[in-house]
Amino acid sequence: MIEINNVNYTYKGSSDSGLHDLTLHIKDDETILLCGASGCGKTTVTRLINGLIPHYYNGELSGNVTVNGKNIAHTELYDLAGIVGTVFQNPRSQFFAVDTDGEITFGTENIGLPPDEIIRRKENISEEMGLSPLLGKSLFALSGGEKQKIACASVSALMPDIIILDEPSSNLDWKAIGELKNVIRGWKEKGKTIIISEHRLWYLKDLVDRVIFMQGGCISHEWNKEEFMHLSCDDLKKHGLRPINIEEKYIREFGSVIFSSGTQASDTISSENSIQIKELFFTYDPPKYLIRKKKLSAENSANYTLSIPEINIPAGNVTGLIGKNGAGKSTFLRCLCGLEKDCPVKITVGGITVSGKKILKKCYMVMQDVNHQLFTDSVEAEVLLSMNTENKAKAREFIKLLGLAGYEQTHPMALSGGQKQRVAIASALAADADILLFDEPTSGLDHAHMETVGELLRDLAKSGKTVIVSTHDPELISICCQYVLCLEKGRVKYLRKV
Amino acid sequence: MMKISLDPRTKIFMIFAVSFIVMVNAVTPLEWGIRIIITLIPIILMITEGKFASAFRFSVLYAAALLLLKFFISSESTGFISAILVGYCGIVAQFMPAMITAWYVIRTTKIGEFMSAMQKMHVPDGISVSLAVVMRFFPTIKEEYGSVCDAMKMRGITFGGGKVTKMIEYRMIPLLFSCVSIGEELSSAAVTRGLGAPVKRTSAYELRMKSSDLIMISIFMICVILFISAKYFG
Repeated sequence: MIEINNVNYTYKGSSDSGLHDLTLHIKDDETILLCGASGCGKTTVTRLINGLIPHYYNGELSGNVTVNGKNIAHTELYDLAGIVGTVFQNPRSQFFAVDTDGEITFGTENIGLPPDEIIRRKENISEEMGLSPLLGKSLFALSGGEKQKIACASVSALMPDIIILDEPSSNLDWKAIGELKNVIRGWKEKGKTIIISEHRLWYLKDLVDRVIFMQGGCISHEWNKEEFMHLSCDDLKKHGLRPINIEEKYIREFGSVIFSSGTQASDTISSENSIQIKELFFTYDPPKYLIRKKKLSAENSANYTLSIPEINIPAGNVTGLIGKNGAGKSTFLRCLCGLEKDCPVKITVGGITVSGKKILKKCYMVMQDVNHQLFTDSVEAEVLLSMNTENKAKAREFIKLLGLAGYEQTHPMALSGGQKQRVAIASALAADADILLFDEPTSGLDHAHMETVGELLRDLAKSGKTVIVSTHDPELISICCQYVLCLEKGRVKYLRKV
Repeated sequence: MMKISLDPRTKIFMIFAVSFIVMVNAVTPLEWGIRIIITLIPIILMITEGKFASAFRFSVLYAAALLLLKFFISSESTGFISAILVGYCGIVAQFMPAMITAWYVIRTTKIGEFMSAMQKMHVPDGISVSLAVVMRFFPTIKEEYGSVCDAMKMRGITFGGGKVTKMIEYRMIPLLFSCVSIGEELSSAAVTRGLGAPVKRTSAYELRMKSSDLIMISIFMICVILFISAKYFG
């Protein structure tokens, strides 16, 4: 039983308040979905329950929170560890160990269980969740879905009554989401209380008992399962939520098609008005050599990680790059923008063929974590840095174009996630790149932000740029993509018009 | 190849023994002999772990330094090239053994084993947990640094542009920001799983000193004793 009564909360150093007079009671065995736009306070609610507020994050808290009869404010975090477990959004930053076994046993070691009990729990859990192929591996070698499974196992090992998941599907592909769903279902069957904060709703629709919709730090709506299942698309859109029912064609596209084997018919794309890519070969396991490195070529391409002898990408369009986790989408983008030196790729744009280092000038990638590509101390400097010859007037033009006017002198790290992404795009425009690549630009975004990104990509394509966007997000494809390129095991499965 | 798995405590002892020996100047053939032995042991251990390439690389570097030092360089050598060679050989021959041992230990010790060894040695949890975090963080920093360098390449920023301080700044700022945010998320995830509880931390790994540990400790012990007696008691 979780009782949150009349809670007001403000994060330290932030002016807008996090939660306003929030009251929420959650019964034992209930599965609750928290939804709403980014910044609506979903995550703050989860932190109230797992005790990170007030014990880890500083801020002003009033009202009271009790979990299983314990007043959170007076209960230490380590005493809550056996009661509330939390799976976080980013698998990269929630691991303490570097190997899977160590991660699963981490919590149980902390609370001082005897070694044979720890081993027993680890074995039970790995059997329940089918983890045996993952045991004994390095966490850095796992895919996003596998990492998230280990995170769930690590929480499970502490056998908490209450499990919180904070946007657990953000970095997962369709199949991994299915597996996550099974884990949640398993917990539900065992009678755990489950609280999920999430933007993607479709995979949860038959699991949840109650849906809480939040807005500006308050609960503004509550639906039970029946009502939630029957919400129309317009209702959801009005609330800024993502669809519950994914259309048939995306189930096909993302469900059966990506995961079936064999190639499929592609639409032909004429070499006019297109960007020709040739000899896109890459392998993470290069042939051993003594003196001269062997060039990657078509003859030996059978075992390459990525092998695309030739493909035409329609210019001035947005092409969605899909495929399951590990299909080679990121490698494809990295090769295309010249980051992999061993890749012999040649790109022809408007009759001019470039290869090698010059590709870096033609293509520009906006990375999944944009923090990596913002170096300077102001937005303006960031854009100027990309220019061959610094031109302040032009830089301001780009900044204005991306709706960042007024932020010229702001430090990029002080901006919101979406704004940072736009700064990165502005510097791509300043670098005068013809081909813009986006690596998962909408993972973890709510509906409104996703739409903004989609529109932005469409506008970029309209202005003559060629955009390739890798994504797991069917909604993004429906908004902005004219073509879809599907990869499997580093080979082209098909390229089709949407 | 048979794998010899050593107790982390043995490995820590190895590091201390090797560091001691490399910090003292070796002159006589016996002293050099001891040094070579303590360099060969971790190389052999590395081979048993299947890390052939690194073992090969280390041995070539070390052998080259020793040979150069023995046959081509004397106290009478002069000139630019020999100055560089003296520097190279001196550093490699002197400190390589410690580097190899440290490398071997880091590559072959799991964090869980390490924590368990620290507990057995009655090191306070505060120290062992912080050391474990440091070990956990190395691969993360490497990954993050790789991404930052990629981003710089795409922007056409490379070394040699003349602005060296700027280059360092551009690398460090995004790296620091992402490491700080990862660190914060990491510790919040750790405290929700009971890190810092005032109970004695346990460990799933049961550590026991095996005969291979005892043999290894005795070899290193003998080396240290021989080295000290050769050095100070002639």
